[in-house]
Amino acid sequence: MNLDAYRIADEPYYQPLGHEIETFQAAYAERLPVMLKGPTGCGKTRFVEHMAWRLGKPLITVAAHEDMTAADLAGRYLLEPQGTVWHDGPLTLAVRHGAICYLDEIVEARQDTTVVIHPLTDARRILPLEKHNEIVPAHGDFQLTISYNPGYQSAVKDLKESTKQRFVAIDFSYPPPTTEAAIIVRESGTDEDLAGILVAIAQRSRNLQGHGLDEGASTRMLIHAGRMVRAGLPLDVAVQSSIVLPITDNPDIRAALSDAIQACLP
Amino acid sequence: MNAAKQVTLHLVPPDEEDSATHRIHRLMLQRETLRPLFRAAWDDLSHHFDESELEAWAGAVLTLAHVNAGPACLIAYWEASKNDAADRQEIAPLLVAGQMAANICRNAGAQAATAALQALPVATRVFGSGPALARWWRVVDLLARQAPESVAPAADNIAQILAPGTIDAFEDFVAAGLKFASGNKARRQAFFRLEEEFARHMIARDLGSVTFLETEIELKAFVTALWGKPPLLRSFAADNSQTPQRRTSIAGPLIRLPETFRGVQGDAARALFRAAAAHAQAHLVLGNGLFPVGTLKPLQIALVNLIEDARIETLAMRQLTGLRRLWAPYHVATPSGVVAAPTLMARLARALFDPAYVDDDSFVAKGRAMFTAALPRIDDPAISREIGMLLGNDLGQMRVQFNVKTYVVEPVYRDDGLGLWDFGENAPPSGEVIELPVDAVRMERQEAPDGDSNEPDGKGEALGRGRPVAPDERGIIIAKYPEWDRAHGIERPEWTTVREVAAHAGDPRLIEAALDHADALRSRIGRLVRGVRIGRTIRLNRQHEGHDIDIDAALDAGIALRIGQEPDPRVFRSSTSVHRDLAALLLIDVSESTRDRLASGATILDVERLAVAVLAEAMGRLGDPFGLLAFASDGREDVRMTTMKSFEEPYDRRCVARLAGLRSGLSTRLGTALRHAGKVIGNTTSGRKLVIVLTDGEPSDIDVSDPLDLVEDARRAALGLKNTGVDAYGVVLGQAGGEAAWRIFGRGNTMMVHRIEDLPGRLSELYFRLARR
Ligand SMILES: Nc1ncnc2c1ncn2[C@@H]1O[C@H](COP(=O)(O)OP(=O)(O)OP(=O)(O)O)[C@@H](O)[C@H]1O
Ligand SMILES: [Mg+2]
Repeated sequence: MNLDAYRIADEPYYQPLGHEIETFQAAYAERLPVMLKGPTGCGKTRFVEHMAWRLGKPLITVAAHEDMTAADLAGRYLLEPQGTVWHDGPLTLAVRHGAICYLDEIVEARQDTTVVIHPLTDARRILPLEKHNEIVPAHGDFQLTISYNPGYQSAVKDLKESTKQRFVAIDFSYPPPTTEAAIIVRESGTDEDLAGILVAIAQRSRNLQGHGLDEGASTRMLIHAGRMVRAGLPLDVAVQSSIVLPITDNPDIRAALSDAIQACLP
Repeated sequence: MNAAKQVTLHLVPPDEEDSATHRIHRLMLQRETLRPLFRAAWDDLSHHFDESELEAWAGAVLTLAHVNAGPACLIAYWEASKNDAADRQEIAPLLVAGQMAANICRNAGAQAATAALQALPVATRVFGSGPALARWWRVVDLLARQAPESVAPAADNIAQILAPGTIDAFEDFVAAGLKFASGNKARRQAFFRLEEEFARHMIARDLGSVTFLETEIELKAFVTALWGKPPLLRSFAADNSQTPQRRTSIAGPLIRLPETFRGVQGDAARALFRAAAAHAQAHLVLGNGLFPVGTLKPLQIALVNLIEDARIETLAMRQLTGLRRLWAPYHVATPSGVVAAPTLMARLARALFDPAYVDDDSFVAKGRAMFTAALPRIDDPAISREIGMLLGNDLGQMRVQFNVKTYVVEPVYRDDGLGLWDFGENAPPSGEVIELPVDAVRMERQEAPDGDSNEPDGKGEALGRGRPVAPDERGIIIAKYPEWDRAHGIERPEWTTVREVAAHAGDPRLIEAALDHADALRSRIGRLVRGVRIGRTIRLNRQHEGHDIDIDAALDAGIALRIGQEPDPRVFRSSTSVHRDLAALLLIDVSESTRDRLASGATILDVERLAVAVLAEAMGRLGDPFGLLAFASDGREDVRMTTMKSFEEPYDRRCVARLAGLRSGLSTRLGTALRHAGKVIGNTTSGRKLVIVLTDGEPSDIDVSDPLDLVEDARRAALGLKNTGVDAYGVVLGQAGGEAAWRIFGRGNTMMVHRIEDLPGRLSELYFRLARR
């Protein structure tokens, strides 16, 4: 089977923040599974895309959700005119043909679903397909990467210890101000001054984390704001619609954040 | 052109023959009836002022005489002068008054001038003698020129008109009156005589005022967003309108804001709160420690404060440019008016804040130049002290007077500056030390750290500073319980007496501040809440109906059809959520040992309090019914229970206050406490009932020599709870007490918390684990 559809042709822009590229390369060289931790919108998805491109491997992404079953990952029999036919799920596809499989937001999946990755992520590197009566040994290029937002971590939704401890982890957090500004410039096409202001605004919202907000504004939000300005919106309106309104419904916090943002505007 | 501009201090030595002093005395020789009144005023003033000042005053009287103000007006001026002299040491306001009265006389006649002078004492009472009073005169002068007939009616009703207490309100009122009648004199007079509804409406006090409480949450979030450090905000009661608005004040880490800003309303009031809180927090975040008072004079202290304010705001605006917009509207000083210390200082404050402000005064210019020269060292607080001291000397030598008692910092959003100084350890105020600060500091010490005046325990105690419960606070008897006699293997009926002791209300903000520090934990718990609140959903496969097709069931059905078998019609999936039906009672041990301090300096009780607050906040949001009960004992006749929150009441600030008011003391008669807890929770209707005991060791009491007796009794009490369907859990703090707790609650129902600091997280986790079962 040809995974060309999953190959990334052009370099996805990724601005390194630390040693994450080397870390990932080393982990890949050893085919160790990787866990990307960090708040929403800070570049995790972009990073995997970049690494898949850099390593020249196909990338199969699966967004985990609560209702996801093991069969959704591994595959199932489907009914076709000539009878039942086995269809590989995305994980099996990656395992069989050698791709990087990215399980986004893994904690969303139920724990009995997540355990299917266990035999893949230890020394065995196999995927048993019970229903299909098959054991798929992992292709030499296969590697598993998961993402995980510690902000959502809870006793209710948390990875099992036995799952967590199989992974090499890379921590993502908000980039330093100048780097973040550079990312905004690059991704939204705004000028540096505006990007600087947006980063200062983000800092205000991140100050409120735990004091009214669950998480501060993400890099993604700032890029959105920058793009809204590029599309012709005045800065304060753009910031209101891309940052303040989406991030909270609490009127006091909204007012406070809006006023703090005013303090960042020239 | 503004009349106040013409007024300056002329302090000419009165030795010439044609000095004003000579001329006025000569004039008075010819006025039989006026002479005694003049002399009385003169003698009075000469106790307070020197020759040159008296000469200036005499000049003002002459001016009045020259505009034909008439005897009534002169008398009014002398009366006003006497009134003023009694509580002020400055001549300038009197000179302004003479000058302005003369202006008014020219424009509106002697009667109007007389009425204005008679209104002056009221205006002085409301505005003091600073810039606000100068603005008052300016407004009256404007009225005299635009609506001469209305000066007397307005002046006659001045006390009512000034009820809102701010000069802004007065300016608005007069402006509205001028506009109101559009030239119709009779209507205008009616307005200023307060016969018009609209006029009365305008002066109705504090119509849309915003209180600190209304804006506190927003204000706190605003300041936190600015610098990432949650401020400790407090308020002080509004003072009466007879004095100028008391300023914000910093006391240690606390920022105290007025309950309301008088006369400022709606969004303007919210903006002023923000400006004030941001300024004060800028001191706390960007400032560096306290200035020693040393031998500084009041005027020097005031100027060091002024420079430090400018320094801090400069630093703040370098980080956050837009703060300029927040503060700028309050810098309204203009390069005019009386040359007196407060006005010059307000002008200097503006000059240092606003680069575009033009002011030719040499003092202002000098201050500006020094500040600009020091900009390269802006990070160094020493520049404030250096520049402030020099400018203080200069101002002192200019012989402009500075009255410590009436001085208030301008602009209004700035803090009084007291929080920047180290007045020394209980240093008795030497004559040199500025009076106002010392008074205020003394007051802070009495109040500190806080207390809501409406709380029964207004003094408030610092977290953990417990004090033993006095014997006369034994409380009312609410129940008697049996106790197990281990030696004889029998239950002694009605052996212990439980008394309800009313909770002391502490300061809820102490707990709120602790919660602020624990923000990481709190948001983790917050997510637990959300996870639980949504309710656990269980997926049901192979259902007769549902919102989705169960693919695997559908495939099986399809296969069955193909091979000619009866398919299973249950090919749907659905989900259902499980509901919790849980009531919990937290039983908190506050015995003497909870007074012990940890390495961090907090007491065990402090940690218990925080843990309970975190969990209670979560339970409150969940909507699970819960109660909070503290216990301690002093022998079997005196087992004390204090209710912080009953099952019936919502978890609100009053509960937090009671939690803050808990004190350590006495012993731990656990068995009785458990029995009582069982009784309390027994009254709830929830399906599952949970008692969680927070204790720091094994049971003990003064009248029981063998602690094992109480352990055994508590074990039986816990068993008794279990038999009535109540689960009891023990959370044991520290290293000891494990053995006993295991015996009492069983291993499965005991959680040891070896590091006491971990308690807040562990307690909540325990609850959520239990809640999900
Ligand atoms: N280091 C970076 N280099 C380049 N772009 C970045 C970087 N960090 C963030 N971005 C930008 O932020 C956007 C959001 O990042 P991304 O989608 O990777 O977030 P994420 O961490 O996967 O978030 P989520 O957890 O919500 O899926 C990207 O589209 C990209 O434009
Ligand atoms: Mg993503």
